Amino acid sequence: MNELSHTRTNHLIDPSMHVWGWEIPVYLFLGGLVAGMMIIAGYFLFMGRHKEPKCSCFYLPIISTIVLSIGMFALFLDLEHKLYFWRLYTTFQLKSPMSWGAWILVLVYPALFANILIRPPEIISNKFRLIASLSEKINRMKNSTRLIGILNISLGVLLGVYTGILLSALGARPLWNTSILWMLFLISGLSAAAAFVHLIAKDVQEREMLAKADNTFLTVELIVIILLIVGALSSTQAHIDAINIILTGPFAASFWVFVVGLGIIIPLIFQVLAVQHKIIHTPVFPIMVIVGGLILRFIIVYAGQYSHWSHTVLGK
Amino acid sequence: MNAPLFKFDSFGNEFSLIVAVIIGIGFGFFLERAGFGSAKKLAAQFYFRDLAVFKVMFTAIVTAMIGIFYLSWIGFVDLSLVYLTPTNLLPQVVGGLLLGIGFVIGGYCPGTSVVASSTGKIDGVIYLVGVIFGIFVFGEFFPLIENFYNSSDMGKVTLPQYFNLPYGLVVFAVVLMALGGFIGAEKVEKIFAKKSLEK
Amino acid sequence: MTTISGTLSDEKEKVKSREHTPKPYMNPYLAGFGLGLVLLASFVIMGRGLGASGAFSSFIATTVNTVAPEHAAGNHFYAEYLGDGTTNPLKDWLVFEVIGVLIGGFISGTLAGRIKKTVERGPAFSSKMRLLFAFGGGTLMGIGAKLARGCTSGQALTGGALLNLGSWAFMMMVFAGAYMMAYFVRRQWL
Repeated sequence: MNELSHTRTNHLIDPSMHVWGWEIPVYLFLGGLVAGMMIIAGYFLFMGRHKEPKCSCFYLPIISTIVLSIGMFALFLDLEHKLYFWRLYTTFQLKSPMSWGAWILVLVYPALFANILIRPPEIISNKFRLIASLSEKINRMKNSTRLIGILNISLGVLLGVYTGILLSALGARPLWNTSILWMLFLISGLSAAAAFVHLIAKDVQEREMLAKADNTFLTVELIVIILLIVGALSSTQAHIDAINIILTGPFAASFWVFVVGLGIIIPLIFQVLAVQHKIIHTPVFPIMVIVGGLILRFIIVYAGQYSHWSHTVLGK
Repeated sequence: MNAPLFKFDSFGNEFSLIVAVIIGIGFGFFLERAGFGSAKKLAAQFYFRDLAVFKVMFTAIVTAMIGIFYLSWIGFVDLSLVYLTPTNLLPQVVGGLLLGIGFVIGGYCPGTSVVASSTGKIDGVIYLVGVIFGIFVFGEFFPLIENFYNSSDMGKVTLPQYFNLPYGLVVFAVVLMALGGFIGAEKVEKIFAKKSLEK
Repeated sequence: MTTISGTLSDEKEKVKSREHTPKPYMNPYLAGFGLGLVLLASFVIMGRGLGASGAFSSFIATTVNTVAPEHAAGNHFYAEYLGDGTTNPLKDWLVFEVIGVLIGGFISGTLAGRIKKTVERGPAFSSKMRLLFAFGGGTLMGIGAKLARGCTSGQALTGGALLNLGSWAFMMMVFAGAYMMAYFVRRQWL
């Protein structure tokens, strides 16, 4: 069946509804995950946990660097003019979230490196004298670890917030045009990161702590989702239509089942039981949290592109 | 009549998938509770060691049968809107036989193997791979057996319709049969428990 | 002091044993009653019963369709599961139900401490052979289930409760086939 489109529903008039593929949600997810890991590692440094031999704050920045680079690569793949991306760094636009993002990323890498330098892996410090001596200097400086911790926490928060602002600053899509999206992405990044660190942490005490922290993050995430829904439902008709894409529309099943059900509620219930030692810790629930976080980005990005200010697009 | 809710447009397709997951969780939960995530427990049925398969299955059938009969009798559910698989007697008889043989060799049926996989049974996972492979084989050979697959078509037919008996009477007969079966099953289990002690 | 540390370690032991010893299975009649209520809920809410093998058919049909779309379209069996192409065939009721089964089984197993990586088999049977049998049995079951238009869940349980003629015939044959074959594979289980 061919539909005749007129006015703005014609895809040649308004920009194509679906221009972002898998790259953007993957980048947003990995960015959020790194943000969460930076906050966690920074918190550990701040609390002086780096004195513990098995503190995850030593390998988290290394993993973060790799993960962030993968995310950046995904973003790079999405760029239309790949060779000109450096131009972002010739200017700083106060009103452009893209510009903010580009500069935040420039600061994130040094912060991660500074964290790595507190105790670099032996393979590297043995090979490169420079890194070993830098590490020594940093450790000798008073309060250096605390400062690096604070730096990582603040940049982590900025990065996490930015992944949400990137979308909500795009006024063209009502689903993204909400002032709470940054909070959702930040808390979702934190919960995914806590789950991830909980999975890989070698220190038993840390693992318990992260499971508890993750439960808190998941609870807050649930509240933020409710706020997002209530906020959209009490806004303009365009916002109501947009949120209904997720609540009852074509993305409802994936949203309720994979994000809310399997990504938040079920892991939350069972991690609470695990923390109380009613059941044993399994890697399954943290993995569900992480996958749920990834699917959340996909749904928000895809459903957001589906949402529109004019009614006709939804076939109403 | 206001049920089945889905057929009366109480909710849409998207929401039905959410219902699907919730019902699936209940299904998986009770299968696992019953011990059906274990091939040994399931197979024990066919050596008269543990008749849990029979007991669980028939209790479930009787419960749902009485429930749906009662709810349609009081006019809450329109029974004609509950989907009934059409009967093709011959392929179903052959399929049932193959399924039974596969059951005791493989140790699971498709639903229980999902539960077995989720509780860490490697044989359950391999069994699932086998099921998927089997369906693929069936699909590839389907054009050859399509005629047989559609043979002996009797349409949607229930036992009461076929034997021309009142629905309630058949329900009653099945309940009696199940109760008899349960008493028999308890006796058989005791006899075989004694036997294995004597060995 | 000793008593305190004694009770503490006792408490720890208790926690440990609570975490690691699997709980016994539910009474079969009670579990069956629960299962029956789930089935009844499915009838009342959805107007359909439970199933399992259909989900795997959707999965196969989707896979075949991705690899060889023309081949899939020419085959009536695949075509039925693929639908008219307007929706993703994996966005199917049974697929979501089976995802639920996976979760439900895991939840129950976790709560009862029954999650364990094992190969279920009789004491005198090698695990390699067991896996081979599992694959073979699964294959037979896959073919049988499709021929019969459903498996133990879709036919025996659902059709059984609806007094479906074909389902009852099917159910009798399942038990007949299994009891017939049981003697030949007894080493696998006993």
